[in-house]
Amino acid sequence: MEEYVNRTSESPAVQAAGETAFPAGGIAGDAGAVKPIYEEPGFWKSQWKRIKKYRKILFFLIPAAAFTLIFSYIPMLGILFAFKGPEFNLTKGDVLYNLTHGSWTFANFGNIFVDNSFWRAVGNTLIINVIRLLVCFPLSIIIAVQLSELKNQTLSKVILIILTIPNFLSWAIVIGIWSGILHPDTGALGQITGHIMAQDAWFKPLAVFFSAWKGAGWGCILFYSAIVSIDKTYYESATLEGANRLQKMWYLTLPSIMPTIALMLVLNISGMMATGFEQIYTMMQVNAGVLTDSQIVLDTYIYEISVVNRTSVPFATALGVFNGAIALALMLIGNTITTKTMKRGLW
Amino acid sequence: MTEKMIEQELGTAAGPTAAPAKRPHGLRIFKRNPNKIKESKLDIFLNILNLTILFLGVILIVFPLLNYFSLAFNDGNSNLKVVVFPVSPTLNAFKYVLVGAGALDFWRAFGNSVLLTVVVTIGSNLVEAMAAYPLSKRDFPFKSGIMMYFIITMLFSAGIVPIYLLMYMFGLLDTIWSVVLISISNVTHLLYFKTFFEGIPADIEEAAKLDGASDLQLFFLIVVPMSLPIIGSCCFFTIVGCWNGYGSAMIFISESADGKLAQPLAYYLYLMLQNTTLNKNDPWLMANGQNVEAAAMVASIIPILLMYPYVVKYIKGGLQIGSVKG
Repeated sequence: MEEYVNRTSESPAVQAAGETAFPAGGIAGDAGAVKPIYEEPGFWKSQWKRIKKYRKILFFLIPAAAFTLIFSYIPMLGILFAFKGPEFNLTKGDVLYNLTHGSWTFANFGNIFVDNSFWRAVGNTLIINVIRLLVCFPLSIIIAVQLSELKNQTLSKVILIILTIPNFLSWAIVIGIWSGILHPDTGALGQITGHIMAQDAWFKPLAVFFSAWKGAGWGCILFYSAIVSIDKTYYESATLEGANRLQKMWYLTLPSIMPTIALMLVLNISGMMATGFEQIYTMMQVNAGVLTDSQIVLDTYIYEISVVNRTSVPFATALGVFNGAIALALMLIGNTITTKTMKRGLW
Repeated sequence: MTEKMIEQELGTAAGPTAAPAKRPHGLRIFKRNPNKIKESKLDIFLNILNLTILFLGVILIVFPLLNYFSLAFNDGNSNLKVVVFPVSPTLNAFKYVLVGAGALDFWRAFGNSVLLTVVVTIGSNLVEAMAAYPLSKRDFPFKSGIMMYFIITMLFSAGIVPIYLLMYMFGLLDTIWSVVLISISNVTHLLYFKTFFEGIPADIEEAAKLDGASDLQLFFLIVVPMSLPIIGSCCFFTIVGCWNGYGSAMIFISESADGKLAQPLAYYLYLMLQNTTLNKNDPWLMANGQNVEAAAMVASIIPILLMYPYVVKYIKGGLQIGSVKG
């Protein structure tokens, strides 16, 4: 702590900024107005001092940094595979041989744009995720509001615990359960509905339904705890003012949990390109085992191209990189939105 | 809301204040007078509607679970009639999975899953907590740069081909270690730990330092015991994630003879769902395939069920951390 005080006392600008950056109320202040810390006189000297001060716990960082380096950053070098020519072949030599030999090309990225399956996958991904956003997301909020409206707190917690059970089952089990029930010959519901799990038209509705069945209860915990933490006196004064239950829900409960809703909404939209690979691929495998046009989503398409078919390593890499870039862009946009409007980042 | 109604409500609500002598706690007046705020017809209607919808929701969750449970305990020839309870109860399916012909595969997958879960839960949380400790110091050198180093990996990944080729180079394909190693790094938990450690008062650590504690002792004997709630939550999420996840196993572990030895349980169940693991020559198995599948899945849930008291405690005690990572 001593060194820190020393450093700030060297520069009145940082000292003043330090006060505005950590106001008593705890609201994130105008951190952007602070001069970059490394432009301060004596910054490098004080960095060295602090390295010396913390030299004993520096090695605590090493395992995590090493794992991140090996399993996140070294694979990022693999982006280079996306620029290799079609003669990339692992039977001819190992990975490094293929990386250093053979031609370089941008054609793999161009091929993505003329690939019909890719665009179909993007379309299906967006359709499934938009329906999910319109169904599952409000559903969690509705369940949370409903649970909080129950007079009996114990009952609401018991119901909440029951609703969260499916979240702790793996997707294999969830889809096993529903394919058992919807089995056309022996299933309890399947005898009425027919074999809807094998029908293309039902694939997307069922995907959304399974997501809701598995995740809605767990998703509502966040909203439920937000509602429970609202000050009860607000409700009492609203009652005094003559508000009925629906008005209290609409004008008091919902605005109070709006920050949570907004944050979760941005998070959901940021994850728009991912559909939940395990779920979609398992559903597809259980049905027919063939990717049909209406079932193909981005995650499963990339998996099929990269792991199952293995026809072209460079093209598969390019697909993965392209997908990662879109996901990165969405995350950055989401982070900008939350930083601007809610004064907090996504991470 | 008309003015007349507001007056009416104010009139009833203002009533008790006329007799303050009986009720010394002025602010708590409304709680002590439940009769004064009457349930309107709308309230009663809403209560009934609310309970009905929630009840239907609970049935929607519980009915499939019960149906599947009873399939596991049922004989294959009467699956047609099973709704909520087994029609012809038998333990044959469980016998086949746990001690019979399917036992070898099941217990091998079970063992792989236990290995995966234990190693990842201890390894990942230890590694991330250790990294979070220096980063929680306010004046740690190059703090924001190091945080950026970790956060970038959360935002961008190069896709599955480079990581597949990396495992190929390491020779770890078709082994459980590929799944273990890829699961260790968990930046979300690093952020949770960092936020929690920042809340620990610096005085405590300085007092321990004065008493002659080394940095290692400080971390393992002071910081870790004080952070048990967050460590518990993160371990819980890791356990559930490892036990139920099979996405990375699908990438690294093939269905070859080698891969078969390395399948974790969730992946084994996924393959079972496609009926690729069942012997087609056995007539009993052909009739009871669905029941065997259900029995294996029910048996696989048990370790997670054992953790359910923790979930209950977790839900009752409110959230320690956001449920962003389910």
